[in-house]
Amino acid sequence: MRETWVVGAASNRFGKMKETGREAATRVSLAAIEASGLAPKDIGYTFVSNCFGIAEHQAHVGPLINGGLGIPEVPSCTIESACSSSSAGLHEAFVQVAGGFVDAALVVGSEKLSHLDTLAATSYFAIAADYPFETKNGATFPGLYATLASAYLGAYRTTPEMFGAIAVKNHANAARNPHAHFQKEISMETYLHSPIIASPLRLYDCCPFSDGAAALVVAAKEFVKSPQSEPLVIRASARAGAITEMQDRPDLLGLPSTRTAGAKAFRQAHLEPRDIDFAEVHDCFTIAEALALEDLGFFPRGGGARAALDGLTTRDGKLPINSSGGLKAKGHPVSATGVSQVVEVYEQFNGLAKGREVPRTQTALTHNVGATGGSCSVHIFSRR
Amino acid sequence: MSADELPAATHTVAEWVASVEAGGPLRGFRCPQCGFTTATWNLACLRCGRVGLLEHALGSAGRVVAFTLLTVPGDEFLNDAPYAYIVVELDGGGRITGWMPSVRTVDGLRIGERVRFMASYKPGVQFVRESDTNDPRKGG
Repeated sequence: MRETWVVGAASNRFGKMKETGREAATRVSLAAIEASGLAPKDIGYTFVSNCFGIAEHQAHVGPLINGGLGIPEVPSCTIESACSSSSAGLHEAFVQVAGGFVDAALVVGSEKLSHLDTLAATSYFAIAADYPFETKNGATFPGLYATLASAYLGAYRTTPEMFGAIAVKNHANAARNPHAHFQKEISMETYLHSPIIASPLRLYDCCPFSDGAAALVVAAKEFVKSPQSEPLVIRASARAGAITEMQDRPDLLGLPSTRTAGAKAFRQAHLEPRDIDFAEVHDCFTIAEALALEDLGFFPRGGGARAALDGLTTRDGKLPINSSGGLKAKGHPVSATGVSQVVEVYEQFNGLAKGREVPRTQTALTHNVGATGGSCSVHIFSRR
Repeated sequence: MSADELPAATHTVAEWVASVEAGGPLRGFRCPQCGFTTATWNLACLRCGRVGLLEHALGSAGRVVAFTLLTVPGDEFLNDAPYAYIVVELDGGGRITGWMPSVRTVDGLRIGERVRFMASYKPGVQFVRESDTNDPRKGG
């Protein structure tokens, strides 16, 4: 297997895009290729994620992006894995490059939902659950994660301030991220006074519906003679699946796919959780960050929710989590999210995360969940 | 191999939905190897992977193991919010999710409370508090 690097990365500002998802995807792709020092013609395969392209009346967007980049002859493939779509794309690119099938690959995720109202967007998100056995019974994504939060509250001594501290932390980080949807801090008081969306989750426990696009260039070390920036060495690229339906899970106090993908990734990288300097984890809701920290082995069971309140996961804490602002505040343009987590690692490694730097940037982890854990990706990166 | 020769389950998703809409029974599957019971349509056991599941009539009553009160619904429940979305541990095995239109506040339900399936005016598995039914089979 060849040593494989992320050599270029780019993101637009998440929030509301005027342009189409296809335009945004093409623009960030070209920016990522330019950052890599490679040329579009060096790309051997393009992996595209655009879960809700149907909302723009557009499928098969890969050839359109490649056409926009002047490389219509390059093969492309659309990768769909709900909210973990583009990290699944990164995994497939890694397999292609590390396996020697291509020397360089483009991974791009794009989503545009802002032209839909909240009701329509909520309904689109909900189809990533099991339609007859969950959605048809009234489930929404806030509802499903709120059910997990309900189980968590029943099992551990948890206060609203613990979830609130996660939201406050991630907003503070997003306020320093020019890519973020919400570039403003919030106070604990604001959090505590925000309305309930799905008990016990409040408005500020929930990520926003965001438009956005992000792209990466993945290449073999031997193909990149002189990288233009500090590359991210892909030490691990792991995926896992688990039971989709909440009704069939043995317990509701974590996401089994995170545990499996995390364990696989640490084995691949020959590392342990204590070796990670900072991480971007899937915090579509504050409870999701708490569960991720436990499932990945960073904190003991029941300890994930209080980590932010104890100051352990702030940028200057023991383990900075979601220095980008996370899905919670940077935003969650579904198919761009997984790649955008890696953009944050790229910017931290290259001194581009101005105002939100984390103190140690030798090794980082990204964690991206599909829906409520039916699928999950974990990647580990280090410097050369 | 023709379509009729492909592996089949003892009931289809459409038959499950029809049974729910008719007021029951709640149809499910039971693994003959490990005993895992589920309402979810599968050809093989989620727990042990055994192919070939047995038809199993799920109980219609059980206790709430997790719930949320939803105030922002999806389009199919637009006129029903707020309502509770619940996970129920059924008597006799298996879990199922459902909704409770009778729960209008966070304090209106508690974990461990007993509930019973009841036919609804719309698709979906609707539950009511067992204490609100006159069913003589209701337990404590």
